[in-house]
Amino acid sequence: MNKTGIAGWFNIKDKGTGYFAFAFQRFSGLVIVIYLYMHLIFLSSLLDGRTTYNSLVQNITYGPFDIFIVMDMLLALVIFYHGANGIRLALNEFGIGLKHHKLFFYAYESISMVLLVLFLYYAYLFLGGH
Amino acid sequence: MVKRRNEHGDEYYDNYNVPADKASTVLEALLYIKENIDQTLSFRYSCRMEICGSCGMEINGRPRMACSTQLASLHSDIIKISPLPHYNVIKDLVVDFDPFFDKYKKVKPYIIRDDDGNYSAEIPQTPEQFNEFKGYAQCIKCGLCMAACPVVGTDENYLGPAPLTALFRYNIDNRDQGIMYRIDIANSDDGTSRCHFAGECTEACPKDVRPSFAIQKLRVQGLKYELKNIMGGKK
Ligand code: SF4
Ligand code: FES
Repeated sequence: MNKTGIAGWFNIKDKGTGYFAFAFQRFSGLVIVIYLYMHLIFLSSLLDGRTTYNSLVQNITYGPFDIFIVMDMLLALVIFYHGANGIRLALNEFGIGLKHHKLFFYAYESISMVLLVLFLYYAYLFLGGH
Repeated sequence: MVKRRNEHGDEYYDNYNVPADKASTVLEALLYIKENIDQTLSFRYSCRMEICGSCGMEINGRPRMACSTQLASLHSDIIKISPLPHYNVIKDLVVDFDPFFDKYKKVKPYIIRDDDGNYSAEIPQTPEQFNEFKGYAQCIKCGLCMAACPVVGTDENYLGPAPLTALFRYNIDNRDQGIMYRIDIANSDDGTSRCHFAGECTEACPKDVRPSFAIQKLRVQGLKYELKNIMGGKK
C-alpha cells in the first residue's frame, strides 16, 4: 500500500472541520506526552537533592522574559483543546450528537477556550499579578 | 497538471492545455487529452455518471470522481490531477484496487441466514426497515473514502470506511442473521477501534453514504453485543 505516513495526518489543506480536529488532536496529544516526559525527567532531578532541582529551576527561569510562562500558556491551550475535543469525540463515538459533530466541535472548543481564559486569569492572579 | 508514472516507476507531472469549451468535467478533459494530445495517458472510467465507481482520482488535493467533478466547480484554471493516495499506482492515474476489495470481502458483505437461503416463505421488509440501511447501500465501491482516511494512510491493516460501512449495513438488515460472524471483525484491532472520527470519508463520499457515521454506530453495536455476551446473553 502507498502509505502517506504520520506526516500525512497534519496535511490539513483543503480538508474539513473534522480533519482539522483530528490533526490537532494528534498534535496536542504528542505535545502533552512530550511535556509529561520532560516534566518527569525534570522532577527526577529532585533525586539528586533540593539544590540540584532549585538550580535547574533558577537556570530555566533566568532572564527578564520568562519563556517558560509562555510555554506553560501554550501547554494550557493544547490541554484545554485536547480535553474538550476528547469529550466531544467520546460522545460522538457513542452515537451522541453524531449528525451535529461539527457544531459539537465548535461549541465544545468555544466553551473550553472561555475556560482557558479564566484559568489563565486566575493563574496570573496566583502568580502575583494585579 | 497530471501526475504520470511510467513502467520503470518514474513519477513526474505533465502539463496539458485543454480548451475551456471542450470539456465540462475532469473526465471529459482527460478524454480530450487522450484523444487529441497524448494517447499514452492512462486512467480508468466506464459509466461517466457516478455509478460504476471507477474514475476516482485526486483532483486539486481532494479525492473526487472525475466524471462528476465539474471543471467550473474547481474555480481554477490550473487543475492538478494525481492518482488516489493510499493505493499502489499501476500506471498514471490507474491504481490497484485489490487490497481494497480484499478488505471488503473480509467483512462478509452479503446476507447470511441460519436457513442457508432455504426459506419457504417470503421474508418481509417494511419501508422503515429498508430505510434503516438504504443510505449505506448506496456505496459504489469507488474507494474515495479509503483515500481520504488518514488512518488508512498509516495503517494498511485497518479495514477502512467502506468495508466497515458494508459490515454495518448487513448487520442492520432485518433479513440478515449473520451479526455473530461479523461483529468480531468489527471489534478486532483492525476494526472500529482504529477510527478516530476525522470524518474525511464522509466529506469525500460522492454518494452521501456517511461512512464515519456508520462506523460510530457500529462501534456502539459492537459494544452492546459484547456487553450482552458478558452478561450471559447468547452469542
Ligand atoms: S462509502 Fe462512499 S466513498 Fe466509500 S467506497 Fe462507498 S461510495 Fe465510495
Ligand atoms: S466513470 Fe463511472 S463513476 Fe465515474
